[in-house]
Amino acid sequence: MISKGKIAIVCRKCEEKAINELAKREILDNDRIIRIGLACSEDQIALCRCNDPVPSSIDLGEAHRGVDADEMALDLIAATSEERLNFWIRQFRKCIKCYACSINCPVCICDECVLEERTFVPEKGIPPGLAFHLIRAFHLADKCIECGECERSCPADIPLLTLRKMTKGDMKDLFGYSAGDAKSISPLLTTLDEQPLEDESHEC
Amino acid sequence: MNVEHVLTTCPYCGTGCYFFLQVVDGRLIGVVPCKTDEISQGRLCIKGYNAHAFVQHPDRLKHPMVKDGRQLRKASWEEALDKIASEIGRIASKHGPDSIAVFASAKCTTEENYLFQKLARAAIGTNNVDHCARLCHASTISGLVLSFGSGAMTNSIQEFEKADCVLVTGSNTLEAHPLIGSRILRAMERGAKIIVIDPRDTPLSRVARFNLHQKPGTDIAWINGMIRTIIREGLLDREFVESRTTQFDALKEAVNGYTPEKVEDITGIPKHELLEAARAYATSEKAMIAYAMGITQHSNGTDLVRALANLVMVTGNIGKEATGLNPLRGQCNVQGACDAGCLPEFYPGYQKIDDPEMVEKFEKAWNKPLSHDIGTTITCTLEKIISGEIKAVIAFGENVMISDPDIAHVEKALRSLEFFAIAEIFPTETSHFADVILPAACYAEKDGTFTNTDRKIRMLRKAVNPPGEAWPDWKIVCELGKRFGATDFEFSSPAEIMKEMASVAPIYGGISHDRSESDVISWPCPSKDHAGTKILHTESFKIGKGIFAPVHHSPPKEQTSDEYPLIMTTGRNMFQFHTGTMTRRSPKLEREAPEPYVEISRVDAKKFGISEGDRVRVTSRRGSITLVARVTERIILGTIFIPFHYSEAAANRLTNPAWDPISQIPELKVCAARIEKA
Repeated sequence: MISKGKIAIVCRKCEEKAINELAKREILDNDRIIRIGLACSEDQIALCRCNDPVPSSIDLGEAHRGVDADEMALDLIAATSEERLNFWIRQFRKCIKCYACSINCPVCICDECVLEERTFVPEKGIPPGLAFHLIRAFHLADKCIECGECERSCPADIPLLTLRKMTKGDMKDLFGYSAGDAKSISPLLTTLDEQPLEDESHEC
Repeated sequence: MNVEHVLTTCPYCGTGCYFFLQVVDGRLIGVVPCKTDEISQGRLCIKGYNAHAFVQHPDRLKHPMVKDGRQLRKASWEEALDKIASEIGRIASKHGPDSIAVFASAKCTTEENYLFQKLARAAIGTNNVDHCARLCHASTISGLVLSFGSGAMTNSIQEFEKADCVLVTGSNTLEAHPLIGSRILRAMERGAKIIVIDPRDTPLSRVARFNLHQKPGTDIAWINGMIRTIIREGLLDREFVESRTTQFDALKEAVNGYTPEKVEDITGIPKHELLEAARAYATSEKAMIAYAMGITQHSNGTDLVRALANLVMVTGNIGKEATGLNPLRGQCNVQGACDAGCLPEFYPGYQKIDDPEMVEKFEKAWNKPLSHDIGTTITCTLEKIISGEIKAVIAFGENVMISDPDIAHVEKALRSLEFFAIAEIFPTETSHFADVILPAACYAEKDGTFTNTDRKIRMLRKAVNPPGEAWPDWKIVCELGKRFGATDFEFSSPAEIMKEMASVAPIYGGISHDRSESDVISWPCPSKDHAGTKILHTESFKIGKGIFAPVHHSPPKEQTSDEYPLIMTTGRNMFQFHTGTMTRRSPKLEREAPEPYVEISRVDAKKFGISEGDRVRVTSRRGSITLVARVTERIILGTIFIPFHYSEAAANRLTNPAWDPISQIPELKVCAARIEKA
């Protein structure tokens, strides 16, 4: 809407990462943004179970050490896959399909949202079913910067940030990639390089 | 570019969430939750997130219109208001002021509702003023006034998450009051026992520990059954019963016959489930009850509410934090409209019309002789129109052609009116019958207050200008009042109107816009230095001692038969709101629930040869509608459910207008029907 001039944004570390993700996708013009770095308080860090809370330059607040792990995520990883599934099924049954997790997400940016596409999420009331949440989990796998807005705005208190942190762990293990970095490009967007993959060429 | 974020109150349910309306150069572009709001805590439901969507819709009424012959044409405000004044004046002088009725609106502000009733009482001279509370919680007011002395929610929304047990009945809380449901979910995660008693599986009942299903219209039986169990097993709060209540012996005798076997026979609730639920409720330290239309909309609605009051008092679950009896109000300002006196039996602040001292008080305040006769309710008004006693109606935004039972009957009434004027934001099924239509401002276009379900006064702030020539309702009433020759309609702002209301209604005595700007206050708040009242009945009931009422089960007015073998019940869904005037014009909401449907159990569907997605015809003794079948496990055998939002298949074409003799609330929740492939 504003076509000219610089835009100053007060940002925590996670928001700094969100800006990087948007800039990489050419939704924001990095050159026009001035970051005012805000260091999170210990309370805020605990609320987000954040392990990377210090912005690249601190203009407001003072730096505090991050928290190492999300305890719920550790518990879930220690549980059997069946227990894990049951946990999430139970959580998702509380969903009232308010779309707050998507509306308040800084990196949820598609023009047309698959969550509104009836093929995948039929419009038959609430709860909307597992697909709704799994679509979001996959869509955010290479974008989520763990700001926790989804979890805080969820009227059903679904521990969405824990889910994101677990997906992020998988991304790191499988692809060595973490969202939010200004330079590296998501491996999910670049699986095809200049040479076609061998297996695929044989299949043709 | 001019960007503003205007903090205001959601126009949908009675929860009263604050949010910010985002305005860019006079256009509403979105809604942002308010993280510091004590009710919503930065969370909203999908209706809240889309509350901006209908405001600047092209269908909005922009100019006054007057009917010439059968055609509506554009008119000036002057002409439209003069026409209303002259027609109402003519009819009132010929047939008396009681031949006129005013329908107020639970979507308008408390200040506007104060003026609606003042218009009826002081300018026209009749107590015929009522609004849609008649269709939702009229029986709550009559029942709780009799049992406790005050007809409002006893505790606050925040307390739900602190309760050890929440019993929810006749309320689809997660869909109809999502942010209250959210608190109940929190209590559940803390380990509280959630008991849901409903003929349908609701989103809340599916995650609740206790999920009981009663046949529609059998609630007094299970409530009395629970009370009997509580008394017999010694789970009652003896000290509370002895010190705070009267008529316990009468109650004990009344519930004696409701053995678990008999209750199972009447309600269909297995006896062990009833016993477990009764014990869970009675043995919890802090237990809350929430209820809504499933309790109130019955031809014995007042008795039903009193039965719940008995249950609360027998366990001493009232007057303390995280306890109480909590009617969840459906409209953003239905509490405020009741508080402001838009009820035919009450002046503002529930001061009784049949108390000569009160009449005198208001005659003095308004400087006008007033009618001593209790006015006519909305339900009864329709009867009186058909019988010719009431000739003219001025309505502020009621859509009776969708919301009231037996629409064919409503239509007959509207057609029989000699004169009908309506102020509305959109053309509706009801405005179609009007002789004069006035374009009104909606919630985003005016200042004022809403009072939410837990009696909190919430500010409404203007974000954008009304479309075309539309006016806020308070300005319309001021102009009408002056034209009826009344003095005291010279208000220049809603804050001034609140000042007058506070001076005549003691429960609002300490309320002002100045205070509400910074504090959220719950009434009763009798004076400027009073902090407001979060929990009612802490030391004593408003009437001294709480009164137990020996009430008995009586079957619904209409029974199933060979011709109409199913019980039909009505309700709401998450995405639409009431008559759909606003939500059906909000694309994201309409997308989620675009068409009318009837829910039917798998077994019944098989019996009547119906499959998922079939077009079916549902017929009652009053009418017939065609809609899509949804075959589901989520409704009990022998019952079908239809949401009432859809004009193309209006559930209220079928419902029964039989009403509760005390509160005159219609039995919207039960009628007999049949279903067949269309």
